[in-house]
Amino acid sequence: MMVKLADQLEAEIQAIFSGDTPWVTIVWDDPVNLQTYVVYVFMELFGYSKARATELMLQVHNEGKAIVSSGSREEMEHDVARLHEYGLWATLQRGDQL
Amino acid sequence: MSATEGFKRHGDHYYIAEFGESEKEVLLNLCEQIIELLAERTDHGHEDPLAAMVGITSHDSPPDDEVLHRLLPNAYSDQVDAAEFRRYTESTLRQKKQAHAISMRIHLKSSDDGIVDLDHDNANAWLGAINDIRLALGVRLKVEKRTQEELELLAPDDPLRGVYGVYTWLGWLQGTLLESLFNDADDDEETELGNS
Repeated sequence: MMVKLADQLEAEIQAIFSGDTPWVTIVWDDPVNLQTYVVYVFMELFGYSKARATELMLQVHNEGKAIVSSGSREEMEHDVARLHEYGLWATLQRGDQL
Repeated sequence: MSATEGFKRHGDHYYIAEFGESEKEVLLNLCEQIIELLAERTDHGHEDPLAAMVGITSHDSPPDDEVLHRLLPNAYSDQVDAAEFRRYTESTLRQKKQAHAISMRIHLKSSDDGIVDLDHDNANAWLGAINDIRLALGVRLKVEKRTQEELELLAPDDPLRGVYGVYTWLGWLQGTLLESLFNDADDDEETELGNS
């Protein structure tokens, strides 16, 4: 968990200095998808631990959405395409326009 | 013919289920409906054959059909960005979804005794296909607008009652496959810990 946060922070700082704004992938709540299915897809696509994937799934469920990954626009387009392949409702946007 | 008990894990990373004849027919029928529905969105009239070959479509607006729209959603809330992304990616997404459903259909078709035996990749295809079917049924059932109680209290003569039955059964079936996959993952984690 801590490692993950440190990595994310480093990526964001790097993005600030290189002039690239980080983009984010957002997953939106959907009444059809099973909670266990959403957890499984997060684990399969992003390699998240079960604990991390469950935390994100609960955030989607309780708050209506969650940021599941961040990076370059191309990377986020790839993530959204894979999430769509498995039927999750996902969009991408610039991280500074949240 | 007895009703299926859902998926069970067997050996390492294999998942097995036995379906009754009527269950198999229902699943096959649903697979075929999804494959056909996605095919409706095929871009027949592309003026540039080279663009069509590399998967660029002339579709830049979401499908009018509510179900297709849910299966092939917008990637951006911004309409211009969404249209651009769709032109370059929609046909690939459609083909991947069709491939999931086709994989599921092949397993069912090639099973004479109703037993299907899936490896990890097959299991992922099944999960994706079952989920797409549930998304499609969910749109028709208006799951977004109705509460679970309202759906459970549909009148016996309401045609949606049967649809809701299939929808919940598919959720249960998907759940048994997920549980088997999670058991596998938990075991792997234990092994890794044991080795360290």
